[in-house]
Amino acid sequence: MTEIRSRFHKELSDLEQTLLTVADQAEQMVALAVDAVCVPDMDKAARVMALDQWVDRTYLDVHNRWMAVMALQQPIAGDLRMMSVLLHLNTTLERMGDQCVNIAKLAQVTFGLPRSERIVAQIREMGDLVRPMIRTGVEALVRRDLEQARLLPAMDEPVDRLNRNMYKEVVDCGPDPAILEWATRMMMVSRALERIGDQVVDIAEQTAFLLTGEMVEFNEEAVPGQTEHDG
Amino acid sequence: MKAEDYAPARTEQAPPAIRVEAPGAKSDTEPSDDAEIVFDVVGLSVYYRDFQAVRDITIPVRQKEITALIGPSGCGKSTILRCFNRMNDLIEEARIEGSVNFHGIDIYEEDVDPVELRRRVGMVFQKPNPFPKSIYDNVAFGPRVGGFKVNMDDLVEESLTRAALWDEVKDKLSESALALSGGQQQRLCIARAIATSPDVVLMDEPCSALDPIATLRIEELMQELKEDYTILIVTHNMQQAARVSDRTAFLTVDVNEVGQRTGYLVEFDTTNRIFTSPARPETEAYITGRFG
Repeated sequence: MTEIRSRFHKELSDLEQTLLTVADQAEQMVALAVDAVCVPDMDKAARVMALDQWVDRTYLDVHNRWMAVMALQQPIAGDLRMMSVLLHLNTTLERMGDQCVNIAKLAQVTFGLPRSERIVAQIREMGDLVRPMIRTGVEALVRRDLEQARLLPAMDEPVDRLNRNMYKEVVDCGPDPAILEWATRMMMVSRALERIGDQVVDIAEQTAFLLTGEMVEFNEEAVPGQTEHDG
Repeated sequence: MKAEDYAPARTEQAPPAIRVEAPGAKSDTEPSDDAEIVFDVVGLSVYYRDFQAVRDITIPVRQKEITALIGPSGCGKSTILRCFNRMNDLIEEARIEGSVNFHGIDIYEEDVDPVELRRRVGMVFQKPNPFPKSIYDNVAFGPRVGGFKVNMDDLVEESLTRAALWDEVKDKLSESALALSGGQQQRLCIARAIATSPDVVLMDEPCSALDPIATLRIEELMQELKEDYTILIVTHNMQQAARVSDRTAFLTVDVNEVGQRTGYLVEFDTTNRIFTSPARPETEAYITGRFG
């Protein structure tokens, strides 16, 4: 294949690579943040905050590079869709980092409070579900794999279910104010993990847009085999 | 944060699927398929003696739209454009197959008068080519030859106004057209083309000899002319096609074993679709600069 816009296409590929590195960091930050809450481990909470500073700096750097590519190269067709995906991905990953920081801060303010091991186990389970989602979502983008992208809504479903169930678990903790303070904070941890799951589904939607040219929101009705793209 | 964020699910029913149309899909800014087809090109092939220059082109051109022809050099864009007003008649040994229907009439039928056809289908060329006459006489030339019984001063003023040139030349109408700048000369040629009240204006690379500002002026003018005329434009500048046109035909070229090049149509769609989500990989490769 003859390439006549090699400088532009290298910039496009470099931007994607940078964001894939951020996605790897985000996955790592989820693991650290969940450990920070569940172990609990304050060193890991501090590492989440430090990593987020790097994520924020990279977000600004990608934004500036993105603007320059748009202004100077005027991408079209698949290149234009890729630019759109990269802009979304940049914002989404930065927000995932922020959610991890929220979890790490909740780990700090709940440190030393009495806790419910049932809820800790649920938070851990949610973390164990969300991290493979990030991996799968990013792999689908890297491989330009529509079928893999469509796996995400189904992977997100148990995360949503655990989040909805968390309210009941908190009520079951009983009237002790000390454990209730800890438990209500865990509801916010659960919510943050649930949001990260949703954000990975957003990335999968972007991958589908990149590949099909159509922006379709994934939900329970749009999971594999049920959209008009099949066929 | 709201309490219901934490509540157990109240319903197992999923919300209805939300579909958001992509930029490439239909929207209010998309050209309507209801517009009348002014030119219906069906299965057009052009030959020069035995050599097939383009093959099997089918393009519907709709009224008061700008239709762009893009593609690499030698793919037959200009050859096709010249079929719309039978300019290829002037080339010996050129012949066509298929049909070019103008308001339902095949313009290659024997009883069609090419001179009358060219009055209704005007043309603007790559290089501005004003006659070595005054500005006024350039615009009045076609109507005089055609025996128009009109107030010539009014017609010249109206044509120059529509071509966005009147204010710049109204005080020097008797001066030579050759004294104008390149961009002005090209707008004069557009004024000359529309002075005979055509339906359609063909533009063959109308900006390739102009600087960027003059180019943008012509592009702006095309948007104004679209109110009254159907425009076909051949351009090498893909961004120009993207900026000005409603629909785009992408053509490319096959080279046979003896080096003969035959152009063919790869994809014809709304410009929005071609430049956001082209259906054919060849179109994608060409417009993004990744040649197969």
